[in-house]
Amino acid sequence: MSARGTALLLAVLAGLGLYLLLEHRRPAALAPETGSAPPLLGAPAATVVRIEVDDAEGRLVALRGPSGWTDAAGHPWGSDAPADLLDVLATLEPVMVVDPEPENPADYGFGPGALRLTLRGAGDRVLLALEVGERNPAWTGLYARLAGERRVLLVGAILHWELEKLKESAPGS
Amino acid sequence: MRAAWRRAALVTATMAFLGAAIAAAAGDEPWILDANNWQEGKGLLPDPVLKRLEKGEYWFKVVPVDPAKFRQNFAKKFWDATAANAGRYELDEKTCGLKDKATGKIPDFVVGLPFPTIDPKDPQAGCKVAWNFTFSGNQGGGGGATFTLNGVDGTGEFRKIKAFLHGMIYQGRLDGQIKDNPENLENQAITAALEPQDVEGVSALNKRYWDWDSQDAIWAYVPSTRRARRVNAATRSDPVGGLDIFADDLNCYAGKVEYYKWKLVGEGKILAPVLQPYPFPMRQVNPSRFMVDTPYVKAGYEVPKSKGAQWWPQENLVFIPRPVWIVEGESTDPYYNFGKVIMYFDKDIYRIYWKLVHNRAGEYFYTAMCGYHFVKNDETYSAVFPSLVLGVNDKTNRAALGGRYQSSFIERNWDPNYFSLRTLTHMTD
Repeated sequence: MSARGTALLLAVLAGLGLYLLLEHRRPAALAPETGSAPPLLGAPAATVVRIEVDDAEGRLVALRGPSGWTDAAGHPWGSDAPADLLDVLATLEPVMVVDPEPENPADYGFGPGALRLTLRGAGDRVLLALEVGERNPAWTGLYARLAGERRVLLVGAILHWELEKLKESAPGS
Repeated sequence: MRAAWRRAALVTATMAFLGAAIAAAAGDEPWILDANNWQEGKGLLPDPVLKRLEKGEYWFKVVPVDPAKFRQNFAKKFWDATAANAGRYELDEKTCGLKDKATGKIPDFVVGLPFPTIDPKDPQAGCKVAWNFTFSGNQGGGGGATFTLNGVDGTGEFRKIKAFLHGMIYQGRLDGQIKDNPENLENQAITAALEPQDVEGVSALNKRYWDWDSQDAIWAYVPSTRRARRVNAATRSDPVGGLDIFADDLNCYAGKVEYYKWKLVGEGKILAPVLQPYPFPMRQVNPSRFMVDTPYVKAGYEVPKSKGAQWWPQENLVFIPRPVWIVEGESTDPYYNFGKVIMYFDKDIYRIYWKLVHNRAGEYFYTAMCGYHFVKNDETYSAVFPSLVLGVNDKTNRAALGGRYQSSFIERNWDPNYFSLRTLTHMTD
């Protein structure tokens, strides 16, 4: 083999090595189609101490207390809905990325009137901040965005069911 | 004189009109719920069904009923047994199995609703509702019917399967306990496809054991291989014959109570599908067998220029507003295909009218509507049967209709040997 051929092979090898290095360093991409995407709530459900739901109807707050979930005024929650919501979020993986770069997020129901769900842990640390848009046409799922991200996710409609349960069982509702 | 008659006729007509108006105002006149007044369906239908109502795909003939009279669809013997069950049963903490308080064990024989009252604050309320559902459905003791499964899409019917189902119930029979029960069964059933030719003779034998922890024993038989093979109980969540309907849709839930984790999550009112609000008669044909004639429920694809979706029932089905418990069920079996299932149980007679099914990924994909008919001869015997199931896959926009038989039978003295592998393997001989 000539010196020129060896140099060419070494260059190709170096290129491959560089590619592998860069690929390895790239942040883990969401690959929900393969079922390998992490659940929406990355922390254990038991670490959530505060649930906030903001939408066009106002703000709903659920606080974890020593004897169960209450509203901000200390009234006990009428059901297990806060715990059910957290259980679902701790296992619910996005079904797919619907749109990585939406031109008009309002098409998915995002914007000022959209529902915003915030889960906080000890020390007010935000464990999940999710903007929830509309249901997809077949109503099998909901459009959602993680705070600070533009890409639109499709998550199972069970989230809609759990949010409705939470709102309907809120003290005074 | 003629004027007096005219006045009398006018007064009579006015009174009749006012009477009808008062009745309608009181809410006991039949009315039609469709796309023109779909808002009135809010709170009476699950969301995906309401959406199709709004789009004009579904419509409902609503027939209000007297709750006390509706309750009498079940015989006095059933309600007396229910009252006698007060305080008698509790649940096994681990499995949600039914337990006799007196012995701490599974009861020997139960008839009537095991839990006459449900306290919505009781953490075990969901499981108790499920047990009441089981024993409401078991009262008849057994029977059978030949029925069809019809796959329907937006253009009409694309597949039809004819099959039969024969079942024998040991627990909950109003006719009393069958002492000879060597396999300790709650029930057993045999089902087989009759048409078309490619599935003819494909059959299954199902035995459900009366205990807290065993799986159903299910054997499937395929004539071409001449072999009966034991299959997993989770096959209840597999589509039947490639259609949008599942074995678990019979009565809207066909599993053992212990297979699910149950949770009561709410109360409400729902439109309940029934062939008619009150019982059909039963006609005796031999000492133990009775025939029941019921009308055929035609669907859109069978009625030219029908109103609504191709799969929507067009006649011989009415909807009655009923109070319901809203219960979530979730299987603990990793091989079961469904995730969270939301079911609407009648608060009085414990039938499931609607269920919404999510898959394991939390996506909603399927609604089943379960319609019933009642049979009663006197105050010592009554039964409730699943007349039809309409399964709608909202992900594929396809549906399947199951049931809709015009004749069925009640068998009050089955030969238990009929429910055997021998019957299964010799069906096509």
